[in-house]
Amino acid sequence: MARLSSGSRSWSHKAACVWLALVVLVAGLAGVLPLPYLPSVPDLAHIAQPPFATSQHWLGTDPQGRDVLSVLVFGARTAVLLTLPAAALSALLGALAGGAAGFWGNKARLPVPYWLLATGGAWWALRLPIPTLALVIAAGGLVVAALARLRQRPFPTWAVPINAIVMGTATTLDTIPRLILVVAVAAGAGVSSAGLLGLLTLTAWPHPARLVRAQMLRIRELPFVEAAHAAGLPAFQVWFRHALPHALQPLRTAMPLSVASLLGLESTLSFLGVGLPPEVASWGRLLSTVRQEPAAWWLFLFPAICLIFTILSLLNLSRQQPVAA
Amino acid sequence: MNWLVFWRLARTGLAVWALASGIFLLSHHDLSGAARMATPDAADLPMSGSANPSATQQQATTRAILQRLGAGLPLFYLSRPPAAHPGQWHWNGRRNQYHRWAIALLHGDLGTSFRTGQAVTTQLSNALTLTLPLTGTAAALAVLAAIFLARRLAAGPWWQRPVRTALAGLHALPLFLVALALLLLLANPEALDWFPAYGFDQALDTDADFWTRVATYALHLALPVTALVITALPELTLQLDTALRHELRAGYATTARAKGLAEGAVIRHHAFRNAVLPTLTQVAELLPALVAGAVVVEVVFALPGMGSLLAAAAAARDYPVLVGGVLLTGTARLLALLLADVLYFWADPRIRWHV
Repeated sequence: MARLSSGSRSWSHKAACVWLALVVLVAGLAGVLPLPYLPSVPDLAHIAQPPFATSQHWLGTDPQGRDVLSVLVFGARTAVLLTLPAAALSALLGALAGGAAGFWGNKARLPVPYWLLATGGAWWALRLPIPTLALVIAAGGLVVAALARLRQRPFPTWAVPINAIVMGTATTLDTIPRLILVVAVAAGAGVSSAGLLGLLTLTAWPHPARLVRAQMLRIRELPFVEAAHAAGLPAFQVWFRHALPHALQPLRTAMPLSVASLLGLESTLSFLGVGLPPEVASWGRLLSTVRQEPAAWWLFLFPAICLIFTILSLLNLSRQQPVAA
Repeated sequence: MNWLVFWRLARTGLAVWALASGIFLLSHHDLSGAARMATPDAADLPMSGSANPSATQQQATTRAILQRLGAGLPLFYLSRPPAAHPGQWHWNGRRNQYHRWAIALLHGDLGTSFRTGQAVTTQLSNALTLTLPLTGTAAALAVLAAIFLARRLAAGPWWQRPVRTALAGLHALPLFLVALALLLLLANPEALDWFPAYGFDQALDTDADFWTRVATYALHLALPVTALVITALPELTLQLDTALRHELRAGYATTARAKGLAEGAVIRHHAFRNAVLPTLTQVAELLPALVAGAVVVEVVFALPGMGSLLAAAAAARDYPVLVGGVLLTGTARLLALLLADVLYFWADPRIRWHV
């Protein structure tokens, strides 16, 4: 990886932080900023105006007469509201799934009464035929639990192959490139903003899950985990309170990269016209309008600068993390 | 070894099948839902029918269209009819959409496109005649350029630092940005008008001789291939460069230097083969990634390939084409896995001995 000198490192780090803070600030204040035109209101009298040509449109307008500056501001809001939650949710999901897969492997054992209760509950929830059978199964689970409690014997257990389930799902999702998968599902199911957020989360979690799992495989062999086991803590507590916080370490570097790749994916989707509805302002959609108007350099330059600066700042942030830590 | 390869291929094939089934079920669930919303219940149809004939005609045509698409059948083996018996599952037997789709797929029939009525296999194979040369050239060029550049970088010239920084920055940029920048700079009447910007029609219409046609073909593919290479190059180069520098610190490299070999010869004859193994894994990722990249590049440059077919199908909700595209991408992944295994076999004699 590229190593700059220490002086320029701190300088570029500061610039990256300032730029990202600016983007988030603008995104947060998009609703109250004194913009003369909203991106949803086209100014049909001024179509494809160059920047500074008219006093109202500082950065010009696109072929539909929308103000470039306000599209940039609201596009920042779309980007922040979509990529940050998606990155956070996928990191959370990946940490839980990958952490569980790494800690227990395929050897987690769930007592049989819980199996019976879960089966009965699922039966009831799915409304499979003969609903009384679900009640019978669940009641059987309770009876077995009570009997085992009364006779002071440990529950009989069955294994849950957590590792196989998590890694199998992750491998399945990784088989097809994310862009193709998201395009196919987004077209098939027809998504809103919230649906797209869920879709991005669903396709982004395998990467953090792999990272956390790999770290967890190392952590679970360390003495402090053994000490926690020896102190008699339940396995869930050892996992959640002791092992998991240490296994989250790689996510600190991976989070900015994940946000950057999600930002790239979101703008690519908007550029292709898949996913977000057309009235939502987005940098990618603004970039796609330049193809109708090849002479309009301002339609390419300003959103491209926003996108490139944001992505490079995120890269810089992820590279600086180990130094700052 | 053979079992390992077989197991991995089987798992990937299973994953592709699961994904395609999931997308099929998702899309067709939506389809039958839309059909149910569009057509009212059969009970109140006769009363309203005589009063409003145009509406019934419209409904009849809608139903005929849906019938042609196969929406009359239940979707899956199991279904839950919402009206008749709430809360009861119903076993549909083999007369369902999923079963028919799967059987047709096993016979090599991907169905017909909703939009054009053409068979999906014909559409895909037509599109592949453009996309395969595009992505194949891009993949070959990217790998060759990465090998060339990484060898030079590992020797440690004075320009290594800025080039590494530039590659790391380039790696993060979305492909469509690179493609758009190329389009606006080099195929724009306002800037430099060196390359044709849009489409492919003029190139194929003319009855020019063979070489002229090849030249126009190459001219049309130059910018898309460049965009794909630019985005695929950094990851390959940086990975290979890191591996090479790691290998050059090993003992055998020092020995080779001590016996008087030049740095370039050490890299070429000693370190390269050891460093190339992780890159071979990346080649397995490269082919499916280039198919995804083709979606963007073909939309930007308006080339009638598989990518623009998929994008148009996504915009028009043409599910059979989309599912076909997913299956094709999965096949590319399978082929890439096989290719990577063959390359491993070539690069590392230890793997050959273990067989």
